[in-house]
Amino acid sequence: MSALLKKDWFGLGLVLIFGSILISLFKPAFISPFNLYVLMLSVSLMLVVAMSQMIIIAIGQMNLSVGAIGGLVAISFTGLMEVYSMSILPAVLIGLLIGLACGFINGYITVKTGISAFIITLATLYIFKGMNLGITEAQPFYEIPEAVKFFGNAKIFGPIPYLVVIPIIITVLMWILMNRTSLGRYMLAYGNNVQSSELIGISSTKIVIYAHVISGLLAAIGGMLVVCRLQLGTPNIGDSWLLPSFAAPVIGGAILAGGKVDVIATAFGVILVSIISQALVIFKIDPFFVQIFLGFMILLAVFINRYREFREERRTKVFSDE
Amino acid sequence: MNNKIPNFVKTNQFGLLILVIVFICIFSFSTDGFTSRFNIYALSRVVALDIMIGLAMMVVILTGGLNLSLGALGVSAAMFGGWCMESMGIPISITIILVLAFGSFLGWINGFVTVRTGVHSFIVTLATMSIYFGFMTLLTEAEAFRKLPEAFTDFGSLKLFNKYISPLLIISVLTCFVLYYIFKYTDIGRKLIAAGANPDAAELSGISVDRMFIYCHMLSGFLAALAGIMLTARIGAAIPSMAGHLGFDWLLPAFLAPVLGGTLLSGGKVTVFGTMLGAILVTLINNGLYLIDVGEFWVRFFLGIILLGAVLLDRAREYFTVKNSIVS
Amino acid sequence: MKKFIIFLTSFFALLVSPVFAGGHGVTKVALVPGGPHPYFAAWEQAGLDAVEDFGLGKADYRVPAEWDLSQQNELIESLVGQGYNAVLVFPGDAVGTNKILGELDDAGIPTAALAGCVEQPTQAKFCFGTDTGHSAYLGTKELIKALGGKGKIAHFTGFLVDPNTTLRINAVEQAVSEAGGGVEIIQVIADIDAYEPADEKINAFMAAQGSEVDGIVTTAWVPAVVAAQALTNMGDKRIKMVGIDHDEVVLKAIKDGYVHGTMLQNPYGQGYIGSYVMDKVRQGCEFKADAPWKSTAQTDQFIDSGTVFVDISDVDTYVMAMRGISLEILETFDSTYLNCPS
Repeated sequence: MSALLKKDWFGLGLVLIFGSILISLFKPAFISPFNLYVLMLSVSLMLVVAMSQMIIIAIGQMNLSVGAIGGLVAISFTGLMEVYSMSILPAVLIGLLIGLACGFINGYITVKTGISAFIITLATLYIFKGMNLGITEAQPFYEIPEAVKFFGNAKIFGPIPYLVVIPIIITVLMWILMNRTSLGRYMLAYGNNVQSSELIGISSTKIVIYAHVISGLLAAIGGMLVVCRLQLGTPNIGDSWLLPSFAAPVIGGAILAGGKVDVIATAFGVILVSIISQALVIFKIDPFFVQIFLGFMILLAVFINRYREFREERRTKVFSDE
Repeated sequence: MNNKIPNFVKTNQFGLLILVIVFICIFSFSTDGFTSRFNIYALSRVVALDIMIGLAMMVVILTGGLNLSLGALGVSAAMFGGWCMESMGIPISITIILVLAFGSFLGWINGFVTVRTGVHSFIVTLATMSIYFGFMTLLTEAEAFRKLPEAFTDFGSLKLFNKYISPLLIISVLTCFVLYYIFKYTDIGRKLIAAGANPDAAELSGISVDRMFIYCHMLSGFLAALAGIMLTARIGAAIPSMAGHLGFDWLLPAFLAPVLGGTLLSGGKVTVFGTMLGAILVTLINNGLYLIDVGEFWVRFFLGIILLGAVLLDRAREYFTVKNSIVS
Repeated sequence: MKKFIIFLTSFFALLVSPVFAGGHGVTKVALVPGGPHPYFAAWEQAGLDAVEDFGLGKADYRVPAEWDLSQQNELIESLVGQGYNAVLVFPGDAVGTNKILGELDDAGIPTAALAGCVEQPTQAKFCFGTDTGHSAYLGTKELIKALGGKGKIAHFTGFLVDPNTTLRINAVEQAVSEAGGGVEIIQVIADIDAYEPADEKINAFMAAQGSEVDGIVTTAWVPAVVAAQALTNMGDKRIKMVGIDHDEVVLKAIKDGYVHGTMLQNPYGQGYIGSYVMDKVRQGCEFKADAPWKSTAQTDQFIDSGTVFVDISDVDTYVMAMRGISLEILETFDSTYLNCPS
């Protein structure tokens, strides 16, 4: 039990459960099957985006171009199918390849030049988004194959949409990667302290590039899932990802200096953000407030994490005194 | 081998200056409109703003941090100014003082939270960005202040030096000199730099690093508010959307100018005139890309390429100067 | 790195094209929207057609890379350098854009506001567009008619920072209040002019209030698309919806019976007639003192480019309907509005 209490996600989990019960007491519509379906859709899309950012946070960097990669892949994916009448599978593969390439570019330049990933991904954000606008001239692609539309809207059973399958698989894989593989441990070590991890003899080049490639792939998957959901490939897919992509891992307890990320906590962060934005609509709260709310939530999470660290520090000090 | 190359040549500013000159030549020869009075005047106004925004970011980068809330802060301050002048009828000069104080206060919030939580300012200002912008839209109901005193708006369209230069540029250049003086010759300026360069050492030598970091954030808020006022004067109205959604449109020039100018993202180094040259370069390229007609949809793409090229170039220059100094 | 610079320089040099095409006195119109948006796409063809039909030098569709007043100003400033001598602009801000229009006027370049107006006093020669408030009003009226005069409706609209949004919210309220007590607005969702947030909020709304709501009116492009898509996905034909504009998703949903109808605007006509008029103005035509301007909240020099309600009966022929309106405006434009030197 006490081991459970220490987990980042334990507190969040409690908040989620009580929050949901509270909301559904006031508004029973909250637990209606259709609402759960809508909730799961929004969670699954944001989950992929948050994971894409989380892995970069793990190595102590940030990736501003997540949304731009997602957008570029989204319009390439639909463009290939509409303009070149490509079938779905090769279009998906090329989409993934583009994501991989974008991630590789980010990682390679960052690690080879030693310039902060913030600046590199700010530049590539403009490059990827610029390519997107240059190709589409801000026009959406509309011709989406029925199978893709079906995938975006059909339900497996009850309120569970097909769309959640991929994000759940990704979350599981990410958990395995971060908790059960040496690559994941190296990434966290790199995020914690570059020097000491290099002493063990891991190639930091590889770590950074792998992390960015995974981030690019996840952003690509996110972009294509949004296409399935919206049933059209619009150039502004990904524009609104930045704030939530950081919000979820931060609220979930990651600290931005890297080295401490928790896949489950991030997932809880995503669910919390989704529930709150939905609750705001259900309770008809002034749309002006939504923005402020998200900001305060991040600050609150930051303070809570700080407080917990502070307590832990005190506790370890007490122990060392003995 | 004695070091025959003067030090200035090795600096980042020199490289920038060359680039600026090269681009001016290219654009003057290849387009008809570049040197027209209309274009130069328009450029001077854009440059003025980009310099101010770049400086506002630079003083936070000094701490090794970032200020994502820059645009939201600037617009909030500008809207506050609009409210003072239009709804409260406060005279222009007092309004400007109030706006600058307000901007500094918002900057103080950023600094205080950053220092107290120990979280990277990226996350803190990401949060305050949406909070400032959210409150601004909530309080103004997204209505612009459009009936500002004429003396104020006229200033924004004033034309000096044979109608080539906007007075806004003079404000920005003066600000550069003041900041340069502060960082170079005053005690507080040196403390700010010391705190940014090596917080632990600064703390040991008796500098309150936390306080210095808060000062930097306040200065950033001050400069962003000043940029907000300038933009209001230029547009002739205080408009919630004037820096884009969440003030995001300020971010690219904000980072481009100091980074091109040689400010280190790890903190501890400021280059006021480098930032100025960086802002000039960015504006030039942006303007030139429009003039030579690459197609508006591709402008962003080329801006990104150029940013990438510039930081790579800067890295290469550093590399070669280090190698040279080892040889000599 | 040197190579990179050489590459860059030569690349730019290659891109440089002769800017001044025609001789002196040829009208070169720039059609500048507020930012990238599918609504304006019809301006491109409209401009090309205007060049062909009226012998203009140029009528180019030039898009700012972002929805941002400063970006738009910078683009317009650079257009002067490129030799354009008439500018049609969708104002980035109803007041803020006036400043640059005044500067263009000083430089001898006539301007007009297209698709949205600037507030007076202004140097813009006129404003030619959809009366957005009126369009929202008519759309709501159609919805109320379809509902049989009673029911609960929801209103989805665009960016809160867009001045049109307030006009639209007020217009919908007005139409509802005129319907007597039978109709009630149960929720207004704004600030959703991007697809992903719109998808999230509209679906959350459907989940919470879908069983209560009887009608939906949307007054911005993106919410219309997303709401039409949501109704199609749900397979819901009970909720009546009136959309706006001509996105394929909305038109298809009308054909399939999920959306009651849409309020069309006339972007093609705006670009086509707008370019024509700018050429006339440059040839020395003056607006008549007694021209039958319409008045809106922003300006009293407004020309309505037309708005049409389209439902399943005429959704296939809407292009012809709009073209008809454009030709009608064009035919009588000279005699109605202009005094030209002979």
